Parts: sequence; structure tokens; C-alpha cells
Amino acid sequence: MTNEAAKFLLNTYRPNGADAQDPVFRAALDQAAHDPELATWFKEQRSFDSQIAAKLAGIQPPPHLYSAILAGIATRLPARRFPMRPILALAAMLILCGTILVTFFVEHLSRTASLEAYQKANLTMLSAPSWPQLDLVTDDFSRTQEYLASMKAPRVPDLPGALLNLPTAGCKALYWNNQMLSLTCFRLPDGELLHVFVIDEEAFKSVNPAADFKEMDGWHVKFERCNGMLVMFVSRAPMVEIKKYIL
Amino acid sequence: MIGQFIVGHEFNLEAIAARYYAPLYRFALSLAKNEVEAGDLTQQTFFVLAQRSHQIRDISKVKCWLFTTLRREFLRTLRVQSAHPHVEFKPEIHDSQTVSADALRALDAKTVLEALTEVEPTYRAAVELFYLGELSYREISETLDIPIGTVMSRLSRGKEQLKALLAAAVSERSQKIIPLKHDEEAEQ
Repeated sequence: MTNEAAKFLLNTYRPNGADAQDPVFRAALDQAAHDPELATWFKEQRSFDSQIAAKLAGIQPPPHLYSAILAGIATRLPARRFPMRPILALAAMLILCGTILVTFFVEHLSRTASLEAYQKANLTMLSAPSWPQLDLVTDDFSRTQEYLASMKAPRVPDLPGALLNLPTAGCKALYWNNQMLSLTCFRLPDGELLHVFVIDEEAFKSVNPAADFKEMDGWHVKFERCNGMLVMFVSRAPMVEIKKYIL
Repeated sequence: MIGQFIVGHEFNLEAIAARYYAPLYRFALSLAKNEVEAGDLTQQTFFVLAQRSHQIRDISKVKCWLFTTLRREFLRTLRVQSAHPHVEFKPEIHDSQTVSADALRALDAKTVLEALTEVEPTYRAAVELFYLGELSYREISETLDIPIGTVMSRLSRGKEQLKALLAAAVSERSQKIIPLKHDEEAEQ
């Protein structure tokens, strides 16, 4: 990639660092890290972008605007409801009863499948080209946990090992299957990230996940139960590096 | 962030409004260049959201949806006003101009916003969404319904224009100040 091509890409890199995980920028960022001329340009560009964004963020809406918006929302029309003929209502009731019965009988089987689906959903999200932006970008672990607590999302439990001493990249509160979960990303010294998903273990109580790391689609994955939470560790870092931080 | 936008199976419109009304207002202000109209556009956007929230299937898209809707509402009002168009010719802007960090620091938000509104319309929307909405290049692509490559190109050229306009603003400002050192030297 030429420096001009890298500049073209990096022009779209947001000043708040929300694109740090987007693989589209990876090559250009690497190049900027090794090319002094590009590094200088990128530093100036980010400084310019940050200053512009900060100045524009200083423009405050009129004080009454928020309350006016809420008043507008409150006057919205109620959702339109269609009258349902009795025969359709009966058919709907029968279908509903059938669904409930089937759901009841397959619940146990589906829990195992659900854990696989949960794992797959998380890995798909991490592997997507448009990696989801973190709600909070910070290297301070305690701030990520304060944020997750404020969102009523599960926090990372007190895990043994040195993981919690690592700097973080940030965190995100998520929903899966009507259940809230959290993602906290730690920065390993070699530059790779170690992602930690936390969900209430009630979601998969009857499932006993494998105790050691497994490799899946280039990711190292491990589940662990801790203080009522099911913790999922995910990283592309070498196992020897990961095991320094997770017992 | 997204989690707080849903209560049960319904959107938490108050939480969405609280999170996005300020950036939407700034975006509206850059489009309309008028505080009253910007406030009206922001209100209208949330009113449309309240009426049509059931049409949004993916809550993670609500940010793009809001910016797209506000822009559409603005363009709709523009079409109504187009019976009396106001045409303004602007000097061509050349790129490669720079503005120092110190000079930029001295500029106020109003000057920066004015410069932003002077960027050619073709590039302006992408730059506004980038700075005012903090939208990613993908979100800008969705909001403006243009390819990602076009977004990158427009951002690149739009930012060059913004720099040139800010450099001009800095230059204009500096010409209004009498250098103190020069005066002191003259007195000596």
C-alpha cells in the first residue's frame, strides 16, 4: 500500500478511536506505525479531527429542546390495532398452545444448542468486517466495569490470574436471546486483544462447557463459570501468551 | 449502549432521545444554518421515530436511521422552499492548505461550524456526519446511500476543503489584529 492509499483510508478513521478494531484500517495503521512521514501526517490529521470534533461538540442545543422532544414523543398515536375475527383468534390460540408444548419438551436439548449458538454469535460478531464499536473506549478496567454496572450489564467477576491487571481497549453492553451480556476487551502486551464475554450462568445452567481452550476458526475459546457468571474468553493471541493471564 | 434503548419489546424513546438529540441538533444546525429550524428538524425527527419505531427491526441501526430521517426532513423542507431559491457563488477552494494546531485552537465553535457549512454540498454531508454524528464510514455510506469508496473520497476532499476554509478564517482573523510587538518597536 502506498502512503497516499493509506492516507485515503485513514482520513475516515474517527477521532474518538471507535474504529480501532476495524480490520479495514489494520494495514494502514501498521504502515503509519513504521513510516515516519505517514506517522507525522496521521498524528496531525488526528489532532485536527479531534479539535474539530471537540469544538463542534461544544455547540449546545437550546435548553428547552429535550423537553420539547419528549412532549412530542408523548403525543404519538397509539399503535393501530386490527380487530381479529373469533375463528382467527381460536386458531392463533391453538398454534400458541402447540408452540408452548413443543418448547417445553425440547428445552433441555436446546440449551446445549443455545450455548453453541451463543458462542457462534460472539465469534461472528468479533470476526465481522464491521467490528461493532465499543460503547466505552478506555484503558482503565475499573471504568469499564463502572460503565457496565451503570448499564445493568454483567461485570467481569474476580478471576484468578493476572488478567484484570491488563489495560483494556474498552467495553460494550449487548443483548443475546433477550439476555443481557457484556464484552470487555483487554490489550495483551503483544498487541493482540483478549475478549471477555460475561453472561448470567442461569442462561446455560444445565450445560457443562469444556474446561480448556478450544480452537475455533482461528480463535482460542474457553468457557469458565465464576461467581454465578459464565465467562467466555476469546483471543487470536498464541496460547502461551493467553495462559500467562488466564489460569 | 444499545441495551438501554429497549424496554421489554419496545424502544425506549426517551433514552434514544437523550443519547442522540444533541448530535442531531448540531447536524441540523449545520444543514439549516438556523437555530430555530435546527430545533424544529430535531423535534420532527424524534416525532417520526415515535410514529414509526415499529418499522425499525434492528436497534443497532437507530443512529443511522435518525441521521437519515433528519436529512430527509431537511431536504423535504428545502423542496418546499425551492420556489424561491437562493443561489450563492463561492470561490473555488484549492486543497493542500494547512491550519496550525494553535491557530485552530483559537477558533470558536461558531467559526468552525460556519466553515463546515461552506464546504461544497457534494462533500459536506459526509464531513458533517463524520464530525457531528461521529458516524463511521460504513454508517455514512448507509445514511447517504452511497458506496463506501465514495464516502472515503468525499471525506478526503471535504476535509481538505474544510482545512482551506479554516486557514482562510485564521488568515482573515489575523489581519484584524495589530501586532503589539511592531507597535512597541515603532515607539522605540
